Amino acid sequence: MDRNQLMKWIKAPTKMAHKYSLNAVYFCTGCGVIEVPPTITSRWDAERFGVVPTATARQANLFLITGYVSVKTLRAIIRTYEQMPEPKYTVGFGSCTINGGMYWDSYNTINQLDKYIPIDGYIAGCMPRPEAIFVAVTHLWTLIDKDMADGYKRYRKNYAAYRANQEMILGEMEWPPIFQTEVATAITEREG
Amino acid sequence: MRILWFVLSPLMALAVGLFFLGLSRRFMARIQWRVGPPLYQPLIDILRQFTQKSVSHGPLFDLGVVLSLASSFIVVLFMPLGGTAPLSSSGGFLVVLYLMLLGPLGIALSGGEAANPNVSIGISRKLILALGYEVPFLMIVLALMTYYGTISIGEIVAAQRESASAIASFPLVFSGIAYLLILPAMLGVRPFEVVGAAQEISSGPAAEYGGPYLALATIQHGLTMFIGISLFVNLLWGGASNPVVFFLKMLVVFAFGFWVNAAFPRLRVEQAVRYLWRWPTLIAFVGLILVATIGR
Repeated sequence: MDRNQLMKWIKAPTKMAHKYSLNAVYFCTGCGVIEVPPTITSRWDAERFGVVPTATARQANLFLITGYVSVKTLRAIIRTYEQMPEPKYTVGFGSCTINGGMYWDSYNTINQLDKYIPIDGYIAGCMPRPEAIFVAVTHLWTLIDKDMADGYKRYRKNYAAYRANQEMILGEMEWPPIFQTEVATAITEREG
Repeated sequence: MRILWFVLSPLMALAVGLFFLGLSRRFMARIQWRVGPPLYQPLIDILRQFTQKSVSHGPLFDLGVVLSLASSFIVVLFMPLGGTAPLSSSGGFLVVLYLMLLGPLGIALSGGEAANPNVSIGISRKLILALGYEVPFLMIVLALMTYYGTISIGEIVAAQRESASAIASFPLVFSGIAYLLILPAMLGVRPFEVVGAAQEISSGPAAEYGGPYLALATIQHGLTMFIGISLFVNLLWGGASNPVVFFLKMLVVFAFGFWVNAAFPRLRVEQAVRYLWRWPTLIAFVGLILVATIGR
């Protein structure tokens, strides 16, 4: 942790600020909700690294999705992700976000979360322990340092593909595309 | 010298307000047996928020935050922070009473533009809570004005420096106790954290703020805390002869406020108003009657 190194703050203040002020939306979809309370309270105390839970998506810059994602929650996840201000980082927590985990052949869960919103990193395991969240945060710091946590840029660049994937699973979506792409223009024209 | 204070006192308010924000997080963490974030964590947060992109919901959404922040800075100019206030005129106290309402009003105007139900609930809660603590607060203010025969904060501070501070003198001790009882409500900390309740209404009026708006709202929160505490130190604890002593006195009041914050759970709105209109109002009323009959 290089939070106390003054030279790094002078060299790249915004990067350092984004590293050490991770305000997180914990999207607790399933069993992963159990691991979050010990992480943010006295036992592990994530606040000493600047990782604080926030109540709304507007105030956040870290999106932690814990556990399986059903089709119904996917809609909420996409809306929450699109409401977060850039730069934003996404972490998938548990096997279910990687390949579906034990729900891989379920009729109403999705298997790969990365097809619908960009994920910057995964925490593997079923369930991962709270320590794994800290390991993930230190990895995220490294990624931010190397400019590799660029999920939000990928979302802008490949928005058409992401939107197509979202529409494939959700059908008609009730909000318009947030970025103007060729496909997005086509959708707006189709809906009049 | 006075020109210098025009620059210095808002800067001091800004620095101390941000310091209090950091200290409050650290203080709460230590009470809960945690390590807690570093003291400069609010600075990191504000730097992060200023460099994030955010959406605006309209012109009033932008201007409301600025109005609230500007009014807070103007209130600071009327406050003698261990010296003379930059804007000390005879009726300064009345102006402060009016301007203190502009802070929440600006946030309300700005949040109302966003049309988020959580924001509306937060604003209505803030108005109800303000109705609760303004009644005893105005009685305390009336008692102080009657006792010292002045409507200037500077003169009240000067009069306390000649004799004992207000909270240690006989009829005004009731006003002092009443002020201590409503102080958590004025600072918006638990048990009166009904406005920005994160678990209930998604941090209330700040629910739609992101990026630079949230940074300005955070600074405004720090200034509100600074104003609430410094008003108590000035009116009832005799102010101070230099800024260092003033700061130390503020620290003691701050520690009291956040000890209450750590020890009590949150009340519901109607419970909060019932409490505020019962005990603090009763004690403040007794103080006002005693001041009016006995006098100096």
